Amino acid sequence: MPSRPGLDPRTKIIAVIAVSAAVMSAGGGRFIAAGLLLAVGLAVWERAWRRAVVLPLFVGASAALAFWVPLVRPHPALGAVATGSFLGLRFAVALGVGMHLIATTSPTQLSAAFRAWRIPRGITVSTSVMLRFLPLVATEATAVLDAMRLRGLTGLRAMLRHPILAIERFTVPLIASSLRVGEDLAASAMLRGLGSPHRPTSMTPPRFGGRDATFALVVAALAAGSVLLSPGPA
Amino acid sequence: MISIDGTGWTYANAEEPSLTDVTLCVTPGEFVVLCGASGSGKSTALRLMNGLIPHFHEGTLTGAVQVDGLKTATARLDELGLRTGTVLQHPRRQFFTDSAGEEVAFALENFGYEPAVVHARVDAALTALAACLPVAARLRLLSGGQQQQVALAAASAHEPDILLLDEPSSNLDADAVQRLTASLALLKARGMTIVVAEHRLRYLRGILDRVVVMREGRTEVQWSAQQFRALPDEDLAREGLRGEARPVDLPELAAAGGSVADPATKGGPSTGALQLADIRCRLAGRTVLDLDHVAFAAGTVTAIRGANGAGKSTLARVVTGLQSCPGNVRLDGRKLSRRARQRASAIVMQDVQRQLFTDSVDAEVRLAAARNDIDVDQALRELDLTRFADRHPLSLSGGQQQRLVIAAARISRRRIVVFDEPSSGVDQRHLQSISDQIRQVAHEGAVVLLISHDEDLLALAADAQLTLRPL
Repeated sequence: MPSRPGLDPRTKIIAVIAVSAAVMSAGGGRFIAAGLLLAVGLAVWERAWRRAVVLPLFVGASAALAFWVPLVRPHPALGAVATGSFLGLRFAVALGVGMHLIATTSPTQLSAAFRAWRIPRGITVSTSVMLRFLPLVATEATAVLDAMRLRGLTGLRAMLRHPILAIERFTVPLIASSLRVGEDLAASAMLRGLGSPHRPTSMTPPRFGGRDATFALVVAALAAGSVLLSPGPA
Repeated sequence: MISIDGTGWTYANAEEPSLTDVTLCVTPGEFVVLCGASGSGKSTALRLMNGLIPHFHEGTLTGAVQVDGLKTATARLDELGLRTGTVLQHPRRQFFTDSAGEEVAFALENFGYEPAVVHARVDAALTALAACLPVAARLRLLSGGQQQQVALAAASAHEPDILLLDEPSSNLDADAVQRLTASLALLKARGMTIVVAEHRLRYLRGILDRVVVMREGRTEVQWSAQQFRALPDEDLAREGLRGEARPVDLPELAAAGGSVADPATKGGPSTGALQLADIRCRLAGRTVLDLDHVAFAAGTVTAIRGANGAGKSTLARVVTGLQSCPGNVRLDGRKLSRRARQRASAIVMQDVQRQLFTDSVDAEVRLAAARNDIDVDQALRELDLTRFADRHPLSLSGGQQQRLVIAAARISRRRIVVFDEPSSGVDQRHLQSISDQIRQVAHEGAVVLLISHDEDLLALAADAQLTLRPL
């Protein structure tokens, strides 16, 4: 979690939903620049320098493929690439804001935010478990891929010749090791009261504050600017 | 405080019962060590006490278990969780958050303690933890010993009457074991009842009250603290238990660079089949490995030692080509690219389940032998794996899986073989077996790197050592 104080988790969740809805909707192209600014600003705020650099580069490259290349060299194949790139850059912007939520919100903070919204416990517990379990699976997947590399099982030729076998060789050890890790995590969490009938409390209950108000104003200004400066729906 | 009377347990789908006849009575404030060879049922007995059996694991339970006045078969798991604190063998797997404060608060929040109480207990725990770790650091970046301290604080924050620990010393170096002993002594002094399942016993000699030896799912022998202190290591070895850990004195490899720990050994370039030069590895903007030169000989086992964060795993990843990094890696005088290093290397991971790719032992060995002219049936016979040939690798025991992965590494005839903490949680008998297999790999001409904190294993298996230090 970041060392500097951050936004209320609920603010971050609303931001992710709002940005995703804006950029993915029909005519959402006008919000891409604003969404990108927001995502980069959040990355800088949490000092995620790599994301702050990579995200605009990716969005810039995708935008070039989506808007500039078809103008310079019209071709049906490039048209398909342009359409894919346009969709990709919308996803990238939404993902950029989502990554801030994931990187700066612990499972317990997320649970507290959901409880404050009176979301049913079944959803709260399962979401926080998923948020904790997914990084563990990612770690296991990296380790399995490393082991496959050393056994010469990741070559492109072998994967093309026997794609099902390649998938099986990746997924079977991944499932086995993830289950083992997940079992320990679940056992420990249940012994420490996760999902118990007790009414959970929070060491730092979620609370909207000045930062959240400022953030809301910035988002509103970016949205208004996008609408006013846009010549029309993209 | 804990009463187990003639209890048996068979896991669902298991052919044999894990526990056949466990009888144990632990009085309030007592410190009991459950010991025995691998597979004797120590960890399963702990699960009887915290209620994971029968509430989390499926199977058949016979007999009665009572913990702090509650019958575990009928009590809820969270009721038992309030009365017990559990530290699992791998602390990093039980962390639900990524900061010490949140991890300590986790049980308190779930059990509904008032925020003021949560704050007070977390502050007290963090103050105590600050003596041995950076409390603001992310948990995944802490050393094994530091993670163990956080797990202990998290398990005891809600002040349970009983603390249960499953092989807490298995991944710790000597300094971390000392810190663990001190922490347990403090908890005992506060009146907590403590049960520890362990292979290594000597580090607990000053604080334990009783040792209970388990054999094949039964509680067989009991030693009082006085009897245990008088026992020679040979008697412990007969039970498959580890005796006094003796500091290993291995010759230090001549090496130079910022990561080399012992200045006395910094010298001129040495000779060896595997030579590394000008290795400067940076990860996340930080230099994690800096080696001017080092050489590892073929046919010998070199221990890679050093504190967590010293770059041991990074060195292994650079050598095996899993990590790109500026510098030269030469094998038998020939410069190797990353790809070539991957083709020349094998690794035996701590968690070997990640390395079993096929649906039978036979297929696993054939896959490893793919490009070599090897009689697979004969190889299976030599490795004593013939009777498992048709079994699915994941259906084997942990020790058998490890043997299969080591066998695959041997059969693939890779020139570089890395073992990453291969003796985590193994008893005296298996330790000897693992050591023999590591020696065999080296004997067949490979350059063997052994990453381990386990001084018992290093004493048995290693010929030389390279000690790294954090930058």
